[in-house]
Amino acid sequence: MDPYLVSVLSNIGLFSFLALSAWILLLGGEISFGQQAYFAIGAYAAGIASAVWAWPFTAAVLWGAVLGAGIGALIAWPAARFTGVHYAIATLAFAELTRAALNVFHYQRDVDGYLTGPDGANGFGDIRWVYEAGIEPGPYLAVIATLLLAVIALIGLAARLDVMAQLRMVGEDPILAAMQGVRVLRWKIGAAAAAGGLAGLGGGLYAHFATYVEPAQFSVMTGVHAVAYGLIGGLGTALGPILGVLIDIGLLESLRALAAYRMIVFGGLVAIILILRPRGLLDETLVAKVRAWARR
Amino acid sequence: MLDLAQNTMDGIAAGSAYALLAIGFTLIFGVMRRLNIAFGPSIMVGVFLGAWVNAQWSAGLIGATIATFAGALVASIYVERLSFAAIRGDAALASMASSFALWMQLEQGVALAFPGRTTAFPTLPPLLDVQFVGLILHGDDILVLTVAGIALFLLHRLIYRSHFGLEMRALADSAEAAAVSRVNTKRVAFLTFCLAALIGAVAGLLIAATDGQVSPKFGLWATIKGLVAMMIGGLGSLRGALLGGLALGIVEAQAQWYLGAAAREIVVFGLLFLCLIALPGGLAGMRETGAERKL
Repeated sequence: MDPYLVSVLSNIGLFSFLALSAWILLLGGEISFGQQAYFAIGAYAAGIASAVWAWPFTAAVLWGAVLGAGIGALIAWPAARFTGVHYAIATLAFAELTRAALNVFHYQRDVDGYLTGPDGANGFGDIRWVYEAGIEPGPYLAVIATLLLAVIALIGLAARLDVMAQLRMVGEDPILAAMQGVRVLRWKIGAAAAAGGLAGLGGGLYAHFATYVEPAQFSVMTGVHAVAYGLIGGLGTALGPILGVLIDIGLLESLRALAAYRMIVFGGLVAIILILRPRGLLDETLVAKVRAWARR
Repeated sequence: MLDLAQNTMDGIAAGSAYALLAIGFTLIFGVMRRLNIAFGPSIMVGVFLGAWVNAQWSAGLIGATIATFAGALVASIYVERLSFAAIRGDAALASMASSFALWMQLEQGVALAFPGRTTAFPTLPPLLDVQFVGLILHGDDILVLTVAGIALFLLHRLIYRSHFGLEMRALADSAEAAAVSRVNTKRVAFLTFCLAALIGAVAGLLIAATDGQVSPKFGLWATIKGLVAMMIGGLGSLRGALLGGLALGIVEAQAQWYLGAAAREIVVFGLLFLCLIALPGGLAGMRETGAERKL
């Protein structure tokens, strides 16, 4: 496959993890401007594990995801009592705190004669496990795609087991859900842990794809994009946020003739979509219609 | 001790601009119950128009001021029409996402029109620094505080002494009750949006004129500062927005002086996070509880 296409597809896959992470929280009724923090935590944790501690790739990426989930739950424990703008700004504060802390985070060790590890604002390079193992970009794309499909399958399974329905209940009307015996706070913390783990997984994969990460990549802009993906693509299904990423990265990369105006085109397109379909392209109504049609 | 007092004074001057931004956010949130994250970028459009008018016709500070107000107003109306008026009442999230999309548009529009990293903006007229028991009050700061004070005074008169202000407060209190009382809610919401744009433009003007330049990063910067100050003060409270802006300015100035620029960010966002958890009602919520004072 064309190397450029592989790199675009890899980016779409990697940012899908971040978009899904924000989407899960949206279902639970919370807007997070801070999922990029868990992406960063996953990227740094997995990068340190494989490049500095010489862990194998699988263990390193898993460690990034676990750390993302743990910190996600820890932050949600006080923050999940809030809703709306309050939650959004609390997550934003945590994410900016993480970025600012990474700016002064130095952890460089001697690995084979080279200083390796995060160097504050200068970033963290030489996360070379994948290249040293001789894995080409093509097969690595397959790794990303497989994991993404596994996540979607897991969400599909959760929908079968009514997990998603309960989460949506919590998001739609927490008081009514609590009256039905749903443990609202637990669901919100659980959703935040799942979202943190997903973003951490994506971050770990991203670090090994890019081989270099720096704190500036994990700015508020990244987090707001992640929320916007779900809202554009639709809140009805896990394919919604992925469609959002496809529209942003895929469509805009194919419109390279309009490169200078791409954000103007994208912004206008999104504004129109949201006027016509306030809950995104693949909203709940459309998903329900497709389900009914498929059952027939 | 002297440093502490000096930093506090410098912080108050910077904080008065933050307070205006926070008040702009609060006005919009108060009547719309939705977040307009394109508020900062809309102001940025105004500031850049001011810079352009100045460069084109060497219009000076007066000309740039008028252009800044006009630009912020036009950009805000564009955002209001597309992201708020056109989107269904029950879709608050869609409005927020849409305002983000328009932010991208405004930011790229500005970056295309002004390719440089920074663009010059006319500076404030030079005023002498005032010395007072060892403290220095900078001439620029005096001017900033005066202008911000006048803007706040006029705003206070408008909100608490005029019929329009009454309608605005009624709408902030309850959209249904306001509509039943024959308040034209759409018109009031639109005008409040315009008012917020003008208040924000004053803040943008003061910041740009103090720095003598603007950059396309101003939009993000203004949105973050305004949101943070609003939340520190307490969501929905105008007095809280004022307090939150000043508090943010003072904390930033102290942290910058004692700990340096890198630690400043950590301190500010760490404190914000703790403040949100420990004081969900913000500074204003410490005394007032409940909904008696939404605007």
